Amino acid sequence: MTDTRTETASVGTVPAELVDYMVHEARLADENRYEEWESLWADDGIYWIPTGDDKDPETQVSFVFDNRHRIGSRIAQLRSGRRHSQTPPSKMRRQLANFEVLSEDGDVIEVAANFSLFEHRYATTIWAGRYLYLLRRTADGITLVKKTVLLINNEGPIKTIAFIL
Amino acid sequence: MTIRLETERLVADDVDYDQLILRDRVHGSLYTDPAIFDKEMRDIYENQWVFVAHESEIKEPGDYVRRRIGTQPLIVARGKDLKVRVLLNRCTHRANMLCQSDAGNATLFRCSFHGWTFSNDGRLQGVSFRGGYEQELSELRAELGLAEAAQVGTYGGFVFANLTGDAGDLEEYLGNAKGAIDRLVQLSPEGGIDLSAGWMKHDNNANWKVVNEVQVDGYHPLFVHESLYKAVKPAKVDYSSDELRVAVRDLGGGHSEVDYSREYQNQDREFIWFSSIPRTRVPNYVEAMEALHGPEKTHEILVDGPPHTFIWPNLFLAEMQVMFVEPLAVERTIQYTAPIKLLGAEEMSARIIRQTEGAMGPAGFLIADDAEMGERNQIGLHAQEPEWVLFARGFESETVEERGITSYDRTSETSQRGMWQHYRTLMTEKTND
Repeated sequence: MTDTRTETASVGTVPAELVDYMVHEARLADENRYEEWESLWADDGIYWIPTGDDKDPETQVSFVFDNRHRIGSRIAQLRSGRRHSQTPPSKMRRQLANFEVLSEDGDVIEVAANFSLFEHRYATTIWAGRYLYLLRRTADGITLVKKTVLLINNEGPIKTIAFIL
Repeated sequence: MTIRLETERLVADDVDYDQLILRDRVHGSLYTDPAIFDKEMRDIYENQWVFVAHESEIKEPGDYVRRRIGTQPLIVARGKDLKVRVLLNRCTHRANMLCQSDAGNATLFRCSFHGWTFSNDGRLQGVSFRGGYEQELSELRAELGLAEAAQVGTYGGFVFANLTGDAGDLEEYLGNAKGAIDRLVQLSPEGGIDLSAGWMKHDNNANWKVVNEVQVDGYHPLFVHESLYKAVKPAKVDYSSDELRVAVRDLGGGHSEVDYSREYQNQDREFIWFSSIPRTRVPNYVEAMEALHGPEKTHEILVDGPPHTFIWPNLFLAEMQVMFVEPLAVERTIQYTAPIKLLGAEEMSARIIRQTEGAMGPAGFLIADDAEMGERNQIGLHAQEPEWVLFARGFESETVEERGITSYDRTSETSQRGMWQHYRTLMTEKTND
């Protein structure tokens, strides 16, 4: 379960390196830089797009619930040149705002941001919601342990999301 | 309140469908003409059996889900008498949408506009400031209950409804597709399925028939799904092989299927339909099946696997998923997908959910590309020439078998021809009222 109402531990004090990391991840996604995006992930990474804000991925279907292996498959499919739903790839730009640190436990930090994303293929589609990230500090820098995407329209019909959301 | 079929003449009543639907081709306007869409909603969706829900979604008295038949909004509700009713989601006073939640439990629906209340069996209960009418409340109640589908029927837990008139017996309508539901529930050691893992809803800019056609198309996988088979993992069967023993079958009544069982039997391997997992991954499931069926029959069931069967006009038994379409407009369709939980097979459930996310829905490795094909189809259909969409493959390979017209050429367009011949019948025959 995802608690979207968690109170901020330290408003206005999100370390700059974490904001930079989230913005960097967003840029790689926007620009379809698949290999670089994939390299952000920790071995135990989970990329999750639920079908509602209070869903349990063990018992309920998600749009995406990728472990690290499946993240690799997703990227391999995109890179094949035959992923028709991304041929040509979407042109995208997303804005992140309202950064918050939700929790900190040893090396693992939970941060959040609101996002809006303008995606163009045949037409321009607006996507919006909240990103929740679990980031781990390692000797080699920050790695991405979990990215949860809470779309505002996740309970209703949505358009194809073959790009990196 | 019963629902009357619209009898006023529609523009598309004057279309000559025999000229637009030939043996081997159909006219492109059938996918793009809004007037034809209006007629389809009346003659196919509002006047025939249509899938609306699964019983597992509305198990308890008071449970309901919100759905549509064609473009009409519905509440599918289980009353305290346990009966499932299909009610139009419209207050009988000033037409406000009565129920807003996608699903829930309620004994009463209260209209937010003027506070009228209706019980979940459709009866009008209370009228606010009841004194303002010429009639007694009892008269209003008798007259102004919610409109209710004429027929509701269930088979294997699948709930179907017919809004108006008499569409005949449900099992007769299911015909040769009934066996597909049997084949599915037989995979459960308790003989039942559950859709409580919920639905993914996918918004397609395509006509509902385009979305249906690809579901039982054995010709496209090598092309549309090439990226998956080459970059991620090979298909469960070799679509490039002429030796492939997959049957494409027109089951009659618009129903059709791609039947993989003969190929599976030929390989005599279990779970080809489920990533070829070994039995040891699901020992309790296999044990429960053997306790019920014995080893021989269990082997047979686990080899044959689930159906890949389209049930006219909107339901698709997509192996370990249930899918259905809601047509919103001539070029807009919502496709729903739910993972199937097999009752009494807990070990299978989590795997089925993960498999569903991998393959299906708006981000799925398969369906995202099928949806892309559908949308490109819809754009292509706006080019005026050639006027026709061809479904001419595989006539020579067809034979008439007990369950329907069958082709053992996996690329045969037998299934789509079956849909279209039934479509022509419905669009030309007198409605059942």
